[in-house]
Amino acid sequence: MRLTNCLRDFKKVGELTKKYANLPDKYIERSMEKVMWKTPQNNPRFLPRVVKKKKFIFTEDRPWTLAFDSKNSLSSIESKVFLEPIKDWSFFKGDRVEILVGPDKGKQGIVGQVIQERNWVIVNGLNCKLEEVSHYKGNVAMVQSRERPLLVTSEVALVDPSDLQGCKVEWRFTEAGEKVRVSSRTGKLIPIPSLAKETFDYKTPNTYKESEKDTKTMDVQEITFLPLLKTFEMEIMDAMGITEDRVQAPTHWY
Amino acid sequence: MAFQMLTKCRIFKNILNTKCPINIRSNCFHISTVHCDLMEFFDNKKNWAVEQVKVGRSWKKDELRIKSNEDLHKLWFVLLKERNMLLTMEHECKAQFELFPNPERIDKVDESMQNLETVVRERNKAYYDLEVGECGERPGKLVTNLLGVNFFYRKFEHLIPKFLNSNWKKRHTHNVVNGNIEKFQKLYREKLHNTKRKSNNRDRNHVMHLMKRFPNLDMDAVKQQYPTVDIEKIKNYHKVRGHYVP
Repeated sequence: MRLTNCLRDFKKVGELTKKYANLPDKYIERSMEKVMWKTPQNNPRFLPRVVKKKKFIFTEDRPWTLAFDSKNSLSSIESKVFLEPIKDWSFFKGDRVEILVGPDKGKQGIVGQVIQERNWVIVNGLNCKLEEVSHYKGNVAMVQSRERPLLVTSEVALVDPSDLQGCKVEWRFTEAGEKVRVSSRTGKLIPIPSLAKETFDYKTPNTYKESEKDTKTMDVQEITFLPLLKTFEMEIMDAMGITEDRVQAPTHWY
Repeated sequence: MAFQMLTKCRIFKNILNTKCPINIRSNCFHISTVHCDLMEFFDNKKNWAVEQVKVGRSWKKDELRIKSNEDLHKLWFVLLKERNMLLTMEHECKAQFELFPNPERIDKVDESMQNLETVVRERNKAYYDLEVGECGERPGKLVTNLLGVNFFYRKFEHLIPKFLNSNWKKRHTHNVVNGNIEKFQKLYREKLHNTKRKSNNRDRNHVMHLMKRFPNLDMDAVKQQYPTVDIEKIKNYHKVRGHYVP
């Protein structure tokens, strides 16, 4: 029970978020972790127990950043956010969408960011709001327009490529067994854009530039494994010329 | 190819190319050609006080499965050295009030090491299954402790048999019928039941609030996410009625 409780918060971080960040799960978990209280270690009077913060508020700030950290301080209590459950997520980065609410109602734009934790998408250059960004004393505050997030469930609709109008989306299977997005109105396929494969580190896996610390592709793909009737230790000992003549005394496992 | 973004071991290529004489033991154990003394615990100087150090992902199990045991043995020490280096750098950055660039590198190395260990165990297990007829892993069994709670006991290797080891017997009382734990068991079961009940109630309440707020709720998705909630039952509850025309 306790295990499922701690896993629940980590699971709240969206799959697309993790995919875009290209970070190991363990790191995201570690950077989000907030320990309230811990029993003293190496003390026989205490059992190892840790009390962690369970409720997090997800916004545009990514879970591993400092902004997320300061927003979710140990003392902060935020009101509960109700999220509409979605069966199949169908909005990806690079999708053309139509906005259904607000001053930009009816306009079409490209999805720039997906925030799956809140069912949000941010459309490039649309649904903007003016914001003061600098508040130095005696200076005139600078004003800048920033995109506000839009709810996927009711505030945006995907654009059907055949007639360039907003539509509802279904997931169906092709005859080849591939899962595809299809417009409910016209039945036309809505392909997933190549931008959806983009991560923080590279645009496409092919264009990744190897850094100095990386192992070269050739070295990774080289097959050096030869099946032998030996354990790992036996093979290493043979390769190093170590011979073991001593006979182990009988031991008992219990 | 996704293979292009790979990890961690800048000197792995050197290792694969070096051919050590077989009988000189000390020569074989060297894993790198660089000797910088204690400075090997620190990163390359050009990576000091930079904003980011770009690296690829960790080694996958499938990539490790095609490598020979010798390569894995060498790679382990490359990873170990890298991890030591990263932990040293992290510690030093903290001491110097600097930001440690890309702390996820530690997790990537850890993941690679875990995968490597899994692959080695797989190979050993295959050998033992074939030759000895049992997996060579540390044995264990499910036992009951004095409080009547089941747990998996992992056995230890001892030099003397069990019947001679009175010290062990004193400390380990497994599978003993204890008549005094009925009250404890009752309370323990009640506690487990209460946690389950509370979590179910919480889920049901949450679903009711969702139904109240969102008129076009996808019920299939709700059923998938909250399998314990009986939606047919709560549909007509007062709490579910929202501020909209149904």
